[in-house]
Amino acid sequence: MNATVIAETIRRHLTNVFFITYLIFLLMVAAAVSMFQSAGTLWPALVSLLAVVAGAGLIGPEFSSGTLQLIVSKPVRRATYLLSRFAGVIVVVTLAAAAAFLTESGLRFVRDAPLPWNELNAKLVNTIAGAMLIAALLALLGSLTRAWFNVAIYFALQIALSISMAILGLLRARGTWNDPLLERAIAAVDQTLFPEAAGGMDPEWLLRVGATAAVALVLACLAFQRREVPYGAD
Amino acid sequence: MTGPMQRGLRARAVRKTYRSLTRRHEVLRGVDLDLAPGEVVGLIGPNGAGKTTLMSCLLGLLHIDGGAITVDGLKNDRIEVRRLCGFLPERMNFDRGVTGRAFLRYMARLAGVGRGEVGGRAQAIMERLAIDDAADEPLRQYSRGMLQRIGLCQALIHRPEFVFLDEPTSGLDPNGVLLVRDLITEQKNGGAAVLLNSHQLSEVEKVCDRVVFLHGGVIARAETLRHVDRIVISIRLLDGSFDAAEVERIAGAAPGGNVVIATVETERDVADMVRRLAAAGAGVVEVRRHVTDLEGIFRGTA
Repeated sequence: MNATVIAETIRRHLTNVFFITYLIFLLMVAAAVSMFQSAGTLWPALVSLLAVVAGAGLIGPEFSSGTLQLIVSKPVRRATYLLSRFAGVIVVVTLAAAAAFLTESGLRFVRDAPLPWNELNAKLVNTIAGAMLIAALLALLGSLTRAWFNVAIYFALQIALSISMAILGLLRARGTWNDPLLERAIAAVDQTLFPEAAGGMDPEWLLRVGATAAVALVLACLAFQRREVPYGAD
Repeated sequence: MTGPMQRGLRARAVRKTYRSLTRRHEVLRGVDLDLAPGEVVGLIGPNGAGKTTLMSCLLGLLHIDGGAITVDGLKNDRIEVRRLCGFLPERMNFDRGVTGRAFLRYMARLAGVGRGEVGGRAQAIMERLAIDDAADEPLRQYSRGMLQRIGLCQALIHRPEFVFLDEPTSGLDPNGVLLVRDLITEQKNGGAAVLLNSHQLSEVEKVCDRVVFLHGGVIARAETLRHVDRIVISIRLLDGSFDAAEVERIAGAAPGGNVVIATVETERDVADMVRRLAAAGAGVVEVRRHVTDLEGIFRGTA
């Protein structure tokens, strides 16, 4: 890890008008949902969306803008750079998630409303773990493509898996085609890459998400290491 | 046992082909290039000749398909090599919200400059490139020329031994051009090797010791503009005032028309030759250092 790159990644987000605006919106939502009966609603989804935006900017846009050419000419290992950028994004997303968590729990405490600590803690941990997976997948896609194609592929893949499962389910229901193995395989891929958030604190779910993120990061580092970085912007 | 370390950059039989699904384009077809410490080499050639590709290969940004590139005896993709290199791309790009100083500090840290030294070095080089007044302005407020200057700062802040400059004077005002010329000379005098990719032949002529002309993916021609061990002079003589055989005997070269190109070792030899020519009755109208006509070479080779 390179502390300079991590600090620069954090700085770039914290001085970004879009990020600040989004953070204020996130805190407003967290304040609003503190009045709901169930804890930790809505803001985890917004944090995940933030992870998509921040993760998408990890490598691809730098490649296209010409920034990456400057960076890779410096004596920093590419894998170190990518992992440090990833770490910076995770710090930023964690800060946002923690701020939302503190806003909701703080307002519940002030208003003397029910404060389900276990549920809120689980939401925070699961949200951060999910964000790590999202950012890792986008880092992998970004190390293979350029510009913002990574985020387009990410959503296209998610939609394609959902549609495939829906079509297979429909065909099975009509009795025209039945291939449980294929269905299970697609469901497994879908659950691995885009897992539904666990209801509570689930170590097995966390381990699975963490392992998938780790594999994605290793593949991203390998791809980035081999990648050519011709200079000049798109 | 390892042999003695070879100082400088050495590229041998470098080949590079761009491939797509429908096309295969061989850009470099066996390029040999040497860059020694304290030397400024100009890389010239028409558009599409492969200059940018060659520079990208030398910097390790592109993988070569054949041949070898070493810097001080090490493969060019090693981290240790990148520590020795400074690079200015033709169009530098970075987060435009960051200030010039912050950008420079970031680049310096990535280049391995110690935390305690970064501030002082950044300030010093920004002053040297006359951009310190705008140091705390965001890059989005920088003009093209200012971006070029801050780009030069990041290329030089870690005191590299090999400097790769791609069109360094592009977008600069005349003062900036003179500054870049001085900087290149300073780098050379400090022992750094400079590879200059430029379309501005007059600039190349002024600062380079050698030029290599890249055409069709090969080094079509290499010219030495400045010799370290000799001086090439051009002497113009008054029409009808000299005997060609006598001039050839003194200058060691036959005059072409009323101009003779002679090679001597020292400036004292120049004065001596002029004195002997005058003593032989030749009217010496003009003596100047002979500079290779790059424009002529460009036209003739391209």
